[in-house]
Amino acid sequence: MPSTTRSVQLRRTVLITTTLLALGGVAACGSEDPAGGDVSAAPEAASTDDVLTVYSGRTENLIQPLLDSFAEQTGATVDVRYFDSADLALLVEQEGERSPADVFISQSPGALGYLNDLGLLTELEPEVLDLVSDDFQATDGRWVGMSGRVRTLVYNSELVEPSELPTSVFDLTDPAWSGRIGVPPTNGSFQDFVTALRETEGDDAALEWLEGIVANEPVTYSNNTATLQAVAAGEVEVGLVNHYYNYRALAEDPSLPTLNHFFEAGDIGNLNIVTGVAVVETTDDAELANDFVEFMLGEEAQTFFSEETFEYPLVEGIAPGADLPPIADLGIATFDVNSLGGGLARTQELIAESGLEG
Amino acid sequence: MVVTGLLFASPAVFLLWESVRLGGDLVAVVATADVLAPLARSLLLASSCAVGCMALGTLLAVLVSRTDVLGRDALRVALAMPIVVPSFVGATALLAATGRGGLVPFVPRPEGFLGAFVVLTVLSYPYVYLLVLARLRHTPRSHEEAARLLGAGTWRTVTTVLLPQLRPAASAGGLLVFLYVLSDFGAVALLRYDTITRVIYSTRLLDRTTSVTLGLFLAVLAIGVVLLARSAAPEPPGPKPAKAAQRIRLGRWRLPVSLLPWAVLVVGLFGPVVVFATWALRGSTAVGFGYSGPGDSLAFLVGPTLNSAVAAVTAATVAIVLVLPLAVASVRRPDRLSRGVVAVVTSVFALPGLLVALTLVFLTLSVPGPLGALYQTFPLLVLGYVLHFGAQALRSSQAALAGVPARLDEAARTLGASPARRFVTVDLPLVAPGLAAGAGLVLLSTLKELPATALLAPAGFQTLATRIFSAAQDGFFAEVGVTSLVLLAMSTLLTWVLVLRPALTGDRGRQDGP
Repeated sequence: MPSTTRSVQLRRTVLITTTLLALGGVAACGSEDPAGGDVSAAPEAASTDDVLTVYSGRTENLIQPLLDSFAEQTGATVDVRYFDSADLALLVEQEGERSPADVFISQSPGALGYLNDLGLLTELEPEVLDLVSDDFQATDGRWVGMSGRVRTLVYNSELVEPSELPTSVFDLTDPAWSGRIGVPPTNGSFQDFVTALRETEGDDAALEWLEGIVANEPVTYSNNTATLQAVAAGEVEVGLVNHYYNYRALAEDPSLPTLNHFFEAGDIGNLNIVTGVAVVETTDDAELANDFVEFMLGEEAQTFFSEETFEYPLVEGIAPGADLPPIADLGIATFDVNSLGGGLARTQELIAESGLEG
Repeated sequence: MVVTGLLFASPAVFLLWESVRLGGDLVAVVATADVLAPLARSLLLASSCAVGCMALGTLLAVLVSRTDVLGRDALRVALAMPIVVPSFVGATALLAATGRGGLVPFVPRPEGFLGAFVVLTVLSYPYVYLLVLARLRHTPRSHEEAARLLGAGTWRTVTTVLLPQLRPAASAGGLLVFLYVLSDFGAVALLRYDTITRVIYSTRLLDRTTSVTLGLFLAVLAIGVVLLARSAAPEPPGPKPAKAAQRIRLGRWRLPVSLLPWAVLVVGLFGPVVVFATWALRGSTAVGFGYSGPGDSLAFLVGPTLNSAVAAVTAATVAIVLVLPLAVASVRRPDRLSRGVVAVVTSVFALPGLLVALTLVFLTLSVPGPLGALYQTFPLLVLGYVLHFGAQALRSSQAALAGVPARLDEAARTLGASPARRFVTVDLPLVAPGLAAGAGLVLLSTLKELPATALLAPAGFQTLATRIFSAAQDGFFAEVGVTSLVLLAMSTLLTWVLVLRPALTGDRGRQDGP
């Protein structure tokens, strides 16, 4: 009879819903108990009241092993929150003085500069700052570079002859490249590059380059990954992306015809945009936070970046992964990385002015 | 009701506060050419998708409920599923599947307006589909039978008798689609259609004033749209709950007509599933974390799966419970206040999730007080979901309540039943399918929600959606593939068990009825 069936169904629904809600209640009460993350508590319950709260713009796959290692070695508990660097910066700003964050890890200097301008970062200890060259840290010592991400031109080897490849990023404005270029204009790294261009060559030269690119009718994408996929698919022939995307794409599909091309030594096109780490001003354990930063600049972490994530280590004595050309060979444009933290507003204006739409 | 209204007004209040604090000038910011063009595009896309979804969703619901379309029973559940796919994942999958180098290279890659329209319509029509389907459950078929007896053909019966009764549910769904498309960022960014959300996102650090002011504008716009879209015509009084009627036999049209729902599923569900499976199976050689390919353990997904399920069910339940009084008041005793509160509640759905999340941070931390203890706890996270998606529960409850014949309620009252008893014994069974549909929408939206989860959840609380985002950020598509498949599987299961089966069993139980 229909009504009996219906009430049986209803009972079943209620039972299942109640079970899940009860689980929810447990989750609410024990909200310190992470059901999902791989956060490891100390094996020997040495000082579990030492909690380090990390807000990370670097994704879990790229940094969790290091966090686990730090937790294991120090006995502290590491609580990490993963999301987009910019959104996390907004979160820290909104949290203000009651922010639980101790450490902020960013994919690029932009978010760090933003927080620093608001006075939300605190000075790092001198021995930590000494580990990295002055080129890759904030002038006021409030954040420090962790690994290097180099701008590159990825190209489709089936469609482009190596002899055609440009020696300078400025060559891309040549009409020979019309319709063949892919760029992600709204992407942070691209904008960081344009900022660097402005800082080294001046606003006028930067605008001229942007307009030259626009004149070549580039195809625009929303991020580096999409650009790379388009180059691999042959939709465009070359793309301006960060160096490691291709390595990771090839790891997933070795049959891809994409290769990285670096510009000649010293060219701004080879810009190194660093990932960075800072201690948040509202931290309640500055010492532990600084220990963490030091760990990120230590041999274990830097080797990890070099060998596992295909990024450039920033600390002396660690060689980049076997596939990567040494950083010295590229003559990475040494450049005031601090300006990458600010001045992006003007960059955006120029991009808009040039007509390059993302 | 006032409390509910104030709660849902908090994002707008927060945006207003920030806007004033940062010195934003609403008119000046919006009136610039840089903003007017994306704004026009947003409105164009939102309205087109709304219309498209209303047509498609209604058509599919009628096909599944009233005809003998091929694979009817499987379609019933499957057609609700595309909404589960996060828009940026769906767009990435469809981009990967099409064009040169894709699985179907002869299909051009979606892009621009057309691409965004197709992708968003195919992923959002379930908003309309689920609500109309619930409504069909209780649409008296006697009218249709009478029309047929009087000689009207099938087509005429459907268009003049059935469709008008579905209009409130379809409009409710259409409004939800409109607001959702306004708020979407992931898909339109990938498909390169520049809308106002892009401006909000790209300026959020660099020109915070503009970003916040535009967010405020979006909230105000949404409230305006909702107030304007008040359904004009009152609900025709339906005499009795449904009893089984003859299913429309499609005859020689059966095969061609059946192609439509299956084609929609290919684009909105099977296509992405195939892409996910391809990514998952292809695997990754050098990257050793998370998931590298077949044979790797999926244990790392157990926690996020549970978290996703618990969060979604909790949010759906709380949402329905919270908005039901408001829905009842607005339908039974509509007045200016209830209309205003309804508009405010609905408008939050048009805001990007990031802004809703920041509002809750503001309420708990920036405002001095004990609320700070709630920060980054599970209850606050649920509140975030309820705030963002409450509109779905509200609209569907309203559509369901509007379909309850007032005569029944009056009859019960004259017999001496108290309001509470009347509600439980008379209204509730009739609106249950609609409520279930609304709960289902909130459930599915929560499963794929990203910014509030990332920012407000307790430390270490991950969901499938945050894992997908993480993996997609750096191009680890093997992991994106397998996690998306798990998300789809779990969503299907939850929706089937908790929403569709209870709501739809009656149909099947009665198909051989008198």
